[in-house]
Amino acid sequence: MMINPRFLNLITKYPFFISIAMVLLWSCKEKNDVVFRTVSAEKTNISFTNQVTPTEDVNILDYMYFYNGGGVAVGDINNDSLPDIFFSGNQVKNKLYLNQGDLKFKDISNKANIEGNSSWNTGAVMGDVNGDGLLDIYVCAVVGLNGFSGYNELFINNGDETFTESAAEYGLDFDTYSSSAAFLDYDKDGDLDLYLLNHATHTPESYGKVEVRYKRDYQTGDKLLRNDNGKFVDVSEEAGIFGGVNGYGLGISVADFNQDGFPDIYIGNDFHEDDYYYINNGDGTFSNKLMSSFGHTSRFSMGSDVSDINHDGLPDLLSLDMLPENEKVLKSSVDDEDYQLEKIRIENYGYYNQYSRNMLQINQKNGDFKEIGLLSGVAATDWSWSALFADFNQDGEQDLYITNGIIRRPNDLDYINFISSDQIKNKIDKTNLVDQKALSKMPSGKVANYIFKGNGDLTFENKSQSWVDHNKANVSTAMALGDLDNDGDLDIVINNLNETASILENQTNSKSRYLKVNLLYPKPNTSAIGAKVYAYTDNKLQFKENYTCRGYQASSEPMIHFGFGDSKKIDSLKIIWPDNTYQIIKDLPTNQTITVKPNHTIPVKNQSKETKTIFSKVEGNLGIDFTHTEDSYKDFARHKLIPYQLSNKGPAVAIGDLNNDGKKDIFFGGSKFKRSHVYIQRDTSYVSKEFNNILKDSIKEEVSAAIDDFNNDGKNELFVGSAGNDFQPPSKPLLDSYYTLKDTTFVKESTPELYNNNSTLEPYDFDEDGDLDIFVGNYTITNDFGNIPDSYILVNDKGIFSVLDPNPFEKLGMVTDAVWEDFDSDGLKDLIVIGEWMSPKLFKNNGKNFEEVNLPGDLNGLWQAIQPFDIDNDGDTDYILGNWGTNTKFSASDDYPMKMYYADFDNNGQTETIVCTAKDGNYYPIAGLDELASQLVFLKKKFTTYKSFAGQSIESVLSKNMIDKAKVLEVNELKSGYLANDDGQFKFMPFKNILQVAPVTSFLKYDFNNNGSNSILLGGNYFGLTPYHGRLDAFSGALINDINSINLGPKIGLNFLKKEIRHLSIIKMDKKSYLMVTTNNNKVEIYKF
Amino acid sequence: MYKTGKFITHSVIIFLIVLASSCQKKEPIVITPDHFHKSIDKVVDIMVHDIFSPPVASRVFVYPNIAAYEIISLKEGKFKSLSNQLNGFQNIPKPNNPEDINYELSALIAHMDLSKKLIFSEAMMESFRDSLYLKLEDQNKTVFENSKDYALQVSEHISQWMDKDNYKETRTMSKYSIDTEDISKWQPTPPAYMDGIEPHWNKIRPLVLDSASQFKPAPPPEFSMEEGTDFYKEVREVYDISNKITKDGDDSEEIEIAQFWDCNPYVSVTRGHLMFATKKITPGAHWIGITKIASKKSNYNIAETLHAYTLTSIAIFDAFISCWDEKYRSDLVRPETLINKYFNDNWKPILQTPPFPEYTSGHSVVSNAASIALTDIFGENFQFDDDTEVKYGLPVRSFDSFKDAAAEATISRMYGGIHYRVAVEVGATQGIDLGNYVIENIQTINE
Repeated sequence: MMINPRFLNLITKYPFFISIAMVLLWSCKEKNDVVFRTVSAEKTNISFTNQVTPTEDVNILDYMYFYNGGGVAVGDINNDSLPDIFFSGNQVKNKLYLNQGDLKFKDISNKANIEGNSSWNTGAVMGDVNGDGLLDIYVCAVVGLNGFSGYNELFINNGDETFTESAAEYGLDFDTYSSSAAFLDYDKDGDLDLYLLNHATHTPESYGKVEVRYKRDYQTGDKLLRNDNGKFVDVSEEAGIFGGVNGYGLGISVADFNQDGFPDIYIGNDFHEDDYYYINNGDGTFSNKLMSSFGHTSRFSMGSDVSDINHDGLPDLLSLDMLPENEKVLKSSVDDEDYQLEKIRIENYGYYNQYSRNMLQINQKNGDFKEIGLLSGVAATDWSWSALFADFNQDGEQDLYITNGIIRRPNDLDYINFISSDQIKNKIDKTNLVDQKALSKMPSGKVANYIFKGNGDLTFENKSQSWVDHNKANVSTAMALGDLDNDGDLDIVINNLNETASILENQTNSKSRYLKVNLLYPKPNTSAIGAKVYAYTDNKLQFKENYTCRGYQASSEPMIHFGFGDSKKIDSLKIIWPDNTYQIIKDLPTNQTITVKPNHTIPVKNQSKETKTIFSKVEGNLGIDFTHTEDSYKDFARHKLIPYQLSNKGPAVAIGDLNNDGKKDIFFGGSKFKRSHVYIQRDTSYVSKEFNNILKDSIKEEVSAAIDDFNNDGKNELFVGSAGNDFQPPSKPLLDSYYTLKDTTFVKESTPELYNNNSTLEPYDFDEDGDLDIFVGNYTITNDFGNIPDSYILVNDKGIFSVLDPNPFEKLGMVTDAVWEDFDSDGLKDLIVIGEWMSPKLFKNNGKNFEEVNLPGDLNGLWQAIQPFDIDNDGDTDYILGNWGTNTKFSASDDYPMKMYYADFDNNGQTETIVCTAKDGNYYPIAGLDELASQLVFLKKKFTTYKSFAGQSIESVLSKNMIDKAKVLEVNELKSGYLANDDGQFKFMPFKNILQVAPVTSFLKYDFNNNGSNSILLGGNYFGLTPYHGRLDAFSGALINDINSINLGPKIGLNFLKKEIRHLSIIKMDKKSYLMVTTNNNKVEIYKF
Repeated sequence: MYKTGKFITHSVIIFLIVLASSCQKKEPIVITPDHFHKSIDKVVDIMVHDIFSPPVASRVFVYPNIAAYEIISLKEGKFKSLSNQLNGFQNIPKPNNPEDINYELSALIAHMDLSKKLIFSEAMMESFRDSLYLKLEDQNKTVFENSKDYALQVSEHISQWMDKDNYKETRTMSKYSIDTEDISKWQPTPPAYMDGIEPHWNKIRPLVLDSASQFKPAPPPEFSMEEGTDFYKEVREVYDISNKITKDGDDSEEIEIAQFWDCNPYVSVTRGHLMFATKKITPGAHWIGITKIASKKSNYNIAETLHAYTLTSIAIFDAFISCWDEKYRSDLVRPETLINKYFNDNWKPILQTPPFPEYTSGHSVVSNAASIALTDIFGENFQFDDDTEVKYGLPVRSFDSFKDAAAEATISRMYGGIHYRVAVEVGATQGIDLGNYVIENIQTINE
């Protein structure tokens, strides 16, 4: 922004006046930003209120889903081109409002005969069940519980604004615990089938094995209902749909996730039951592919929605959970699962990786999803029910609206630990009466809904305070979309709890351009449910699938809506009809509503042809059958507050000729108490060979290794770095190992008695005396995380190593990687060292010792790997840097770096670290009260309630004294990127978001394209974290040819998702090169290219 | 002028103070055993609120009791100081001006002060203390202040000794590490799947025992779920008993016994997202309650009451250390885990399984140790009506002796479905042996 000097003068002279002016300007701007205006009930005549009244029989204690809300469905029931609105109420009567234009509605409930007869209604969806071109309404109910009577009702549209309840006739009169339903034509026979979502209600006191889901239960099990000429037949069992007593089904999304022409289904289950990801096999059956397709999912899954958010023509998925954003709520609510419990749930009971936060799952072409909710900024929206994607501001990017709130927060820690016992225990166990006064001790969970603007770079911006005019705290559950006023933009209808329903009018109007597509399809699927629409404009693809049952207990107007910003026309619009034939409309003007019928359609060709990729797996792995097995040591048991594990950095890998036959062999280090492995190269494969003296050291955790001729005897030696963060100094297993080859056996030589946990070994003859010296980079000191270990150079004197003195690398940092490279072009290679909680450090080699060269600015990161490479093609060497990424609960910026306080806070001889991140300008410890107090007991006395602790900044949690004595380590950059070399000046350039989805831990430079120029292969991911963070598993790998040419894993034939990549190496056999991928706690993989 | 004014003001104030103090009452401060009972009851309430685990609760009882006992034993010739009888414990300081001290009051104040240090919610203790102080201070300020000063001196002395018992160090020792691969090892149990509590309690300095392992019991039968093995029979018996008494219904004697002795400080209840806890006193607190009943029934004076509390709480404290030493040595899996895995995955024990390894039964060790101490004080065949947990909704049960009560507490853990027979039987022996050792190795009565 250019600032007029006179304006500056004004500021200095009249600061007060100017601030007022700024505020005025600001509020003006904010006003312009408003996308949604709340339309009053007086104007709309919509007075529907889902009032729930607890009674002795029905309340949150007796029915755990008491506050889950009703349903809402939007659709034009009288074919006057104005979408009408149907609400279902839990205890109140259903309502149908006829749209009379100009956002005025008429209550025709009574006449329409849709008020319903069940005692507890839930979801409501519209669909043309009988294929007569009129939308019918299906209303779910919970029956057979707490005295609830009735059944799911199907209101068949008579075409005269009246309906006839006909559920029994159609076979849909279920008296089960239904929460919602979705229409889809799963068998592609042209009529609409139904998936009925039921929810279990039994208290999940003990997990029970996953096998519970195979045993069908009529009331709680989900049902797939096939439409056989107007009669719905339960085909769940034969179709492979689970139906057990642990299906806490709250969310359903239908989409052709794998783009094979058949609709697939994602089911969100609350509590410990896994979500289900049903892939339609095309033969009437489904297969649950959750574990193979997803790295992790939401834990308390609620509603969900599907949309293509990254313009690749593939449906992406958002599943909701209940993670609060607000510090006060967060720290007074039940914590994440304990890490040991997570292990039991997964390993003993067979459940999958689940973490309590919203998950944004990005569809990869290969059937996998990568989860980026934290990177996207949509992970924490509190107690959330419904999510709907749409382009609300019509800029061509999908935005997101999320409803949330709960009348009372039953997971409030003070309530659970301190209040409940006295207040309600006797009441409920003895008399089954609910004391309202006791329940009222649970804090209110009213929260404002969230609205996010899609930024087009995988991230979303929270616009909750500016895009909606009156976004107040309340409890909102089901929600539906429709263009209620027919002005081209999408309006929102929300079913609130104990409050009048909300109508949000979209004010985008003509500000940016849109296209509405009404699809007309032959009977019986008259709304073309399952059709796909692709819009191409300005090299951008937008993709929508026509499924109306979306979000949560609701259905939206059957219509496809796109926004196009300023684009006046669409280059082409491709429609794939439910019968898998397509047509293309070219040069379509925007800002209009079109109605399309199938016309000259062409069958879609099966896209079975595999695109050729660079890498492909080598069968048999060239004989390298090494599987790294991590030992069971968990740092968090001993060092409860450390931010991540330090003990799982292996295995070491080194490649070199170990038996002096001219062929390069491979050494793999073992984890603690697990043996290392050596593979000797033969003519056509590798064979495992045991060297006794090396095996003897299996007690060590070996994380780094180097094979080279260190003593110039013409044969190679092996040097191995030890770590593991378990053995305490001065334990011998912490010493590094050095083995020399005598005849055919290795002999162990002594190494300096230095007891740090090693991370990297970088051999180089820095003093040019003809033998190889070694830079030994060290990571941590056992049981003293936060303290900085010394690194050093081992100076080689005829095969005898001693530490370079004076040591320029004392207390260098938590080193993770280093590289020798002549950055000052003086002919001597210099050393660049990186690590965690530190900036990359450049050391100029003067032939005898080193001088540090300072980098400008703060660049403290959690750096994992470094690789020299001319990424910007300007002829000099840049440095690629792998960092933690931004798909994490960590947050860091220049203004608000992440801070780690390190001290022996409670003076008991044991140091602690407390990691804090900033929220709204204040620093809060990441750990909750129980976790902090498990190490710092005095906090139990200082904060006797969770409420008193929640929302306290670190300065209030600790005393000033403690803060003052603590050493503070900082991280201000989490993104991976590169140090761009600009005439010897370095500037950090972060990569774009597709490379920030997980830690980048490994690089390999090689001419993979065989075109004479090198590329860089990247690997990453990290799982050594508590459930608070979950698994950082979303990086599929990438090949960077240069900064403008980046290909992600699936495109190049690699898939590193869900694997922790530790090393990428080239091995050569019989003149051919292979890629070797070494992972932690997994099998080595060999690829040819 | 100004200076004079100030002088005058000062003189007036001093005069008023003198006047006020001369108006102060000089009544004797009378402390009764009830003061102690009420104070201990208050501490029990706060412990329930703060959720102290059973071993830690035993520590909250014992040190304040010792402090009060030591003060009162200076006055009462009948009772002998524990100095040099408890590990690391030396004489408390003597008062400077014994004539201006009310020993009973000092004992009470020291008791409350140490209790406050040991619990979390200090404010709850302070409001109780302050209302009491207000009354007592009013009766005789000089004696009150002197007694209080001395009490705090003793409290500090005990604190310093207490701080060396390794409690602080064990707080930051490693969590219990769950071995999910070995089914014979303890695993967290439903519904809360809590971490194993106090895995390092055997590192706490015992008071009378020479080490945590002094009464190391025989190991449990070798783990095997092969039908016919000793261990299998143990598991099967818990399952069979539970099925039988469940069939007999809630009014069966066994269920009443199990519930009467539940003594679980934190029973977690989950209903969907709604969670809550029902909280009760710990086994140690239950036996402290019995001590109160016996003392009152015997019309004990303050010194006798404190003697009973102190000896019983010492036995309980050492019993927990001994029991916990074995628990994390054998690290044995609970019946619930095995019954769910091998017999019936829907089975739930009548009592909620507490969050620590099975062998030996803590209630058995502690109850029997406490019963030995109480029998030593009050004699065999001491009949009493146990109404300790009436406020938690439990009935009154009558016993003919402390040993009868302990035997019932022992078997209650089998009825409750949370212990094998061997754990309660071996645990009872462990408690009896330990209790006898305690009473034989500390001299509390001056011969």
